[in-house]
Amino acid sequence: MTSVSSLTDYNITRERYDDYVSQPVKERDLFSPFSGALFIDSGGFKFLSSKELDGSNFQIEIDQKKVYEIQQKMGADIIVNLDRPIAPDDTHKQRIEKAQQTGANIAKFLELSSDFHGARYLTLHGYNYSMMDEFLTEITRYTSAETLRSAFDGIALGSLVPKKDDRNALIDAVIDCRAVLKDWGFKELPLHVLGISSRAIPLLVALGVDTFDSSTYLQTAINGGYCTSLMETVDVSEANPEQCDCPVCSSEHLKEWMRGNAPYQKDMLGAVAMHNLIVQKRAIFEIRDRVRRGETEPLIEYIESTVAQDKPTRDHAHRVVNHSLGGYF
Amino acid sequence: MKKNPKVNEVNEFLEIASDFEDPLEVIRESLSNAYDANASTIEIEIRSREMGSDIIIDDDGDGMTLRDLESFFDLGNSRKTDSIGYKGHGTKIFYKSDRIVVNTASDEANLRAEMDEPWKKLNQRELPQYEVTETPVRKGNSGTRIRIRNFRSGQGFDPESLTYNKIEHYLKWKTIAGSTAYLFDDEDREMNITVKLGDEIDDSRSKLETTTRFEFPEEQLDPDTSSEFPAERMCKHYEPTEVEVEHDGGTATLQIVGMVGGKAARNELPTYGKHSAQFGVWLAKDHIKVERLNEAISHDNEFLHFFFVVNCQDIELSANRESIRNKSSSVYQRLTEEAEYYLSKVTQDPWFKEYLEVRRDAEIKRRARNRRSSLKERRERVESGQSLDPTNRTEVLLALERFNGKSDASTIIVEDFEPSADVHAIVRQGGKLRNAAVHHSLTDHFEDDLTFEEVNLIICWEYGDPTTLREYERTGYLGGEIEFQLESNGLVYEDDGQSFIEILCLNQESDEVTRQAVISD
Repeated sequence: MTSVSSLTDYNITRERYDDYVSQPVKERDLFSPFSGALFIDSGGFKFLSSKELDGSNFQIEIDQKKVYEIQQKMGADIIVNLDRPIAPDDTHKQRIEKAQQTGANIAKFLELSSDFHGARYLTLHGYNYSMMDEFLTEITRYTSAETLRSAFDGIALGSLVPKKDDRNALIDAVIDCRAVLKDWGFKELPLHVLGISSRAIPLLVALGVDTFDSSTYLQTAINGGYCTSLMETVDVSEANPEQCDCPVCSSEHLKEWMRGNAPYQKDMLGAVAMHNLIVQKRAIFEIRDRVRRGETEPLIEYIESTVAQDKPTRDHAHRVVNHSLGGYF
Repeated sequence: MKKNPKVNEVNEFLEIASDFEDPLEVIRESLSNAYDANASTIEIEIRSREMGSDIIIDDDGDGMTLRDLESFFDLGNSRKTDSIGYKGHGTKIFYKSDRIVVNTASDEANLRAEMDEPWKKLNQRELPQYEVTETPVRKGNSGTRIRIRNFRSGQGFDPESLTYNKIEHYLKWKTIAGSTAYLFDDEDREMNITVKLGDEIDDSRSKLETTTRFEFPEEQLDPDTSSEFPAERMCKHYEPTEVEVEHDGGTATLQIVGMVGGKAARNELPTYGKHSAQFGVWLAKDHIKVERLNEAISHDNEFLHFFFVVNCQDIELSANRESIRNKSSSVYQRLTEEAEYYLSKVTQDPWFKEYLEVRRDAEIKRRARNRRSSLKERRERVESGQSLDPTNRTEVLLALERFNGKSDASTIIVEDFEPSADVHAIVRQGGKLRNAAVHHSLTDHFEDDLTFEEVNLIICWEYGDPTTLREYERTGYLGGEIEFQLESNGLVYEDDGQSFIEILCLNQESDEVTRQAVISD
């Protein structure tokens, strides 16, 4: 998972950018033998303030066509239309304008990507049922609901990043999203939640979210955090890599790097970020395994032993179990 | 040289007996003892006497052997290990009396024990003795009868304080009669309880009959939509649940059962005192409620809606069974954590959320109804021709608007209003802007300690108490002299210099009276 807008995150040069898009990711030796699906978001949230990709010595104007071109060049398997995410303090008028801009992008996106071989995800924005319902009403002014249903392979729920620490709002949004998708006939499509993961993962899964993404593993590392589990993080200076059997912590020189004996700060953080990512991925495999068993009990047990153990998130865990997993009573 | 520490026996007896403050505890101890002795019925009779109360306790339990009888009178020498009264403290409450007689028949013996003036002797620092006599055994007729004369019940058993209602509530909240054990154990024994109070205490009925089972009000999951209080009778049972918890000292079992319900549902339970003292989360031992742990319910939920009993045999009780004494233990720590964890599931139960929502919606509707009736009154007042009676600054300005229509003076338009500032309003009069203080009463200006700097005009509904104004004239205000010239619609304030502030009094009716009163001074 990455996004078009992230390409210039590190103030790269034109030459570096050209190199990024010169060859599909999965065809590069560097990423061999990676064989997973590559999900490339448009990163619409970053284009809210400027409609440009800003490098150190170049700028590229971004529109739906450009986004799709980059998604293709990088060899994406799953792509998302260019969207205009909403913000909590947007006025109703601003939200409608954004929905209309997204609606126009969607029409363009479908036209451009009609022969795309991978999966296409439709972005959806809103914090509650009525907002999402209105969003769909607006975008269907540009593309009929029937076309949306047949053309898209999944739904990507966005705009929730500002709500990520308000678990109740997050849960409300996902519950309402599923209700709106049902009423609009999108119920069968897989649901992705953009930009939320980490400790929310078990709850999102329980609420019926199929995929999610975020860079918390990286952000945590940048802030000096070393994940000991999906739920717990310690300061990297207090971490004990001997207790972890991930490839990073099993490598003597990476362990040295994590202890601060690295050529550059980025090498130290890179190793920690990779470790954090592996910890999160392992947790996801564990959750996936429990979901595959087809019963709610294994997932409830997982939630009880993780999210529900933390006092601040306990009520949310119990709310989700009561709502989506058959309930306690 | 080794020495044995000594115990002052008399003091210990006095101490333990004194620990039981509530005379009703005599009932609790009797019930526990009878239950431990496998009784199927127990009858307790209390009569009020001049010096105290006479109490007779009759049960059909196994009866006492000589050794049991010793335990009955001894301190901390209980033979029981896994029963309610294992401490050997409870029966010592009987020592607060003039005479104790125990007649008991077991399969082994038929015994009679008598102790005279135990309380008097203890207070004279003398250990009371008891005499035991034995008569031949009659098989198949076991049981125990305890008679206590002049039990020092204080005022607790006075007709003013003791009623059948109070006893019933006490039985269900504080004793084995309020046990929830049967919900966990299919083979739980039920004991029939009868309490008789002398007519001189309560003659409202002849006796009280109950059992050792706490019954929850019937479940009602749906709101009563026909009622103004639709959630009031809503009630949900939370089935008995057993939870094992690991702690430093081993494993403990919690037995949790309870209900959530509205006021009407809760009122179907015998509530001894206020709901606020009865509801919430109770920690229990032997399924007898001991102490509440309302902090187990997250602070955003009112504990009143909940009634849960968390029973754990690993908690330890104080001598009078009124409190838990092993609160610093790991088992207590784990038990409170687990109770909190369980209650979080309940508070996140969609039914509970719906119950709260029904309550809230109904409250809003009731409030709206009240507002409607107050609106009706207001409309009636307007229609009857009663004039506006302002109570705050905004309403005074509303009255100003009306005044503009009636008055011959030039119209005053409010251009700016900031009630929290010293100059409350900027008004336009005759094309000029003026700074105005706005008050219900002119006296408010002084009570608010406001100065006259920057103020050209005071707009008020009335002058207020003329004697208050006179006092300011007499004693001065903020270091200056003040003179009310109400006939000229103003006041003169003299501090560093002299200034005239115009006063516009909007209530013309009260105006004259007040003005006269001030002028005549």
